[in-house]
Amino acid sequence: MKNIAVIFGGKSAEHDVSIITAHTPIISSLLATGQYEVWPIYITKDGAWYCDQFMNDLEYFKKDDWHNQLTKLKTIHLSFDNGLTVIWPGLLSKQIKIDLVFPSMHGTFGEDGSLMGLLRMANVPFIGCDLFASAVAMDKVLTKQVLASEGLPVVPYVWFTKHDWELNKSTLSEKISHLKYPLFIKPVHLGSSIGITKVKNNSELENALEVAFHYDDKVLIEEGIENLIEVTLPIMGNETLQCAAIERPLNNTEFFDFNDKYLSGGTKGNGVNRQYSELPAQINDTLTNQILDLGQKTYRILGCSGIARIDFLIDDQTKNVYVNEVNTLPGSLYQHNWKTIGISNVELVTRLINLAQERFDSQKTTTYTFSSDILKQSGGKKI
Amino acid sequence: MIKDWISRYGLKFPRSLIYMLQSSEYNIGEYLSWMRRTKNFSHVEKRKTLVKNPKSLLLLAITWLLLIAVYSTALFVIWHGYSIRRLYVFFFLLWAAPYIASYGIIIPLLIIKYIIQRPIEYFIVKKARTTLAAHKGIKIAIAGSFGKTSMREILKTVLSEGKRVAAPPHSYNTPLGISKFIKTLKGDEEVLIFELGEYYPGDVRKLCKLIQPDMGVITGINQAHLQKFKTLKKTTDTIFELSDWLGDKPLYVNGENILAKDHASSHHILYSREGTKQWMVTNPTTGLSGTSFTLTNEDKQITIQSKLLGLHQIGPLVAAIDIASYLGLSEEQIARGTNNTKPFDHRLEPKQDGSGVITLDDSYNGNPDGVTAVINFLASLHGHRRWYVTPGLVEMGVQTESIHKEIGRQLATANIEKVVLIKNSVTTDIEQGLKESQFSGEIMWFEDALAAFAALPHLTLPGDVVLLQNDWPDQYN
Repeated sequence: MKNIAVIFGGKSAEHDVSIITAHTPIISSLLATGQYEVWPIYITKDGAWYCDQFMNDLEYFKKDDWHNQLTKLKTIHLSFDNGLTVIWPGLLSKQIKIDLVFPSMHGTFGEDGSLMGLLRMANVPFIGCDLFASAVAMDKVLTKQVLASEGLPVVPYVWFTKHDWELNKSTLSEKISHLKYPLFIKPVHLGSSIGITKVKNNSELENALEVAFHYDDKVLIEEGIENLIEVTLPIMGNETLQCAAIERPLNNTEFFDFNDKYLSGGTKGNGVNRQYSELPAQINDTLTNQILDLGQKTYRILGCSGIARIDFLIDDQTKNVYVNEVNTLPGSLYQHNWKTIGISNVELVTRLINLAQERFDSQKTTTYTFSSDILKQSGGKKI
Repeated sequence: MIKDWISRYGLKFPRSLIYMLQSSEYNIGEYLSWMRRTKNFSHVEKRKTLVKNPKSLLLLAITWLLLIAVYSTALFVIWHGYSIRRLYVFFFLLWAAPYIASYGIIIPLLIIKYIIQRPIEYFIVKKARTTLAAHKGIKIAIAGSFGKTSMREILKTVLSEGKRVAAPPHSYNTPLGISKFIKTLKGDEEVLIFELGEYYPGDVRKLCKLIQPDMGVITGINQAHLQKFKTLKKTTDTIFELSDWLGDKPLYVNGENILAKDHASSHHILYSREGTKQWMVTNPTTGLSGTSFTLTNEDKQITIQSKLLGLHQIGPLVAAIDIASYLGLSEEQIARGTNNTKPFDHRLEPKQDGSGVITLDDSYNGNPDGVTAVINFLASLHGHRRWYVTPGLVEMGVQTESIHKEIGRQLATANIEKVVLIKNSVTTDIEQGLKESQFSGEIMWFEDALAAFAALPHLTLPGDVVLLQNDWPDQYN
């Protein structure tokens, strides 16, 4: 049986969402295959790493005193010697060689490419987007800049850091004044709609920026679309891509925030947005084809692999479509969407594992080193 | 192996023993045979857990006392002088303690059974018999290897439209269970319906003596409890003890069941999906929303739309309709009552979750006829991916292998897409049957039912139909 590590938690505002994604569907589906020994690796908000198979059960994280129970465990060590090895230190020391890693971390220190960098160093195959796509997609501004430079449509925006704002408030306010209200103020590196505020006029701006800067030191201000239709498209693949169904989140509130996504979502939810989404989205064929085309282009331009979800904004009146964001680890892998096109959770994780292995094998053929005499010549007049 | 042996010395061991006794309904033979089969006593409570009641707690206390007594004796032996002989005795007692407790518990159990329980039960049943003899309601008794609870519920639902009807809840079908129910009667009931449980020859006669039925239904005879009866002849004779008791009084016999039909007399009323002598069934249809058919006799026509699933439900519905007609219910009352019938708990009970998967819970159906009926129903469903999940059937005695191979053959013929088998001694026979019939679907294996239930939501898609067939109680592990 192959050892597969699912890494979740971490120093991120989306810490708890990450625990849910790790368990539903990742761990439960991996266990359902009966083909893998699943090792759950949980990273606390403080950055401590723990691993014990009882954490394969989501119920553990629902207990009142699970934090206390956790501290009784020993933190694990990792070895990168010829692959990734998890080590439980102590008198009865144990170690497990990991064959494959399934990252399940949303947001900072995980989805942003940090974890992928670590796994690349460990030379272990891992599921989902690689370091570069993850890092770019995590930065909403960088994503827009890359996509715009390739001619893909994005909504007008302004960005700046906390430091810029403190120094050049008037210049930046002038820039903002060229945008059409309502505006969306977003922390650049956060997902799950955390810290996002919709502002309708200039007087609300200051407060919204304060909220965004609470979570990030770089913010994005973008124009809101009149007659907005939001849609999202999950995509899977490395070279050959498969699109899931185009989905339209349904929301009765100002915009689709964290609570709507994770707490009141689904048809069983009791929140304001009782019905989570329209699946497939009821949009015409022209828009559908446009979104499928833009989605795949975005996926390729950013160098995504494994799985990602592309969000779009549609102006219902002009029928203009804009690429909004790219999410390299869709919450719960958007399992509900894949199911509607006939891909069960088990099939989803199995395909993602195959894609990870495929990418890892193909990277093996790339030469990363180069022999030279540079060291011998160092110290000379000119290298 | 060492872990298995050590499990006898764990703290859980006494509780495991009492759980085994309780699950075997304190049948010593079953308890001993389960104990002989069990290798590891740490994980005996899998499907259920020990129900704490005065009897189980008393036996648990006695088991602990036995263990403490043996260990104390061992310590006493070594404490009062050292010798090689004493050392041997000490180690022997340590080794033997769990075995002494396992078998020793049988003695207090027998004492409780024969000195306390039996006399109490005798008086309870005697009192119940007197109460029932004075009760003016019509008593209907239902006997058979399978389908008794479904027949009881159908009858109760249909007759309730025109009569005050009472029937024991759950599976109260033993003298003590029925006596408990009799205590709850108000006295003004017009119809009483009883299931007669049969495990050994004479059981049905004993229950008839208690109930004194005015009419009866024999739902069918098959290999259920064959392990206890040994032969189908004994099963048939036991179930037809109801016929012997009733004499010329009305007895309905399932005409679709060959053993019952062959054993029926000319004055018995045969019922089937075709109807009865009086009623004829036409236009039968079934699906996930229910079953419908038209019933006609010389001058009447009734259209029935039941929520029960499967054409095999038509026979029992027709029998209930005929009994209702015999008891004087009007056509409207009969139609209304029959249309009110719906699946009962864990008997082909459809459930749809938020993910759009339709689960048919048939976990209380564990007999070959019931299995055939359900596979036929699944075969009739189109446009759905069908999953059949089973641990197999228990107590099939010498016919275990042939029955399970036949289930495999039926599943292959029905072109079921996915068969999920729970690992045990009988499911390999289902696999064999599937392979012999060139099954084209997928077979999946799981260590236990809980693992399968946990995995299914991740394997299924919206629109899939998942049938959960039978349960595998711990005592058969």
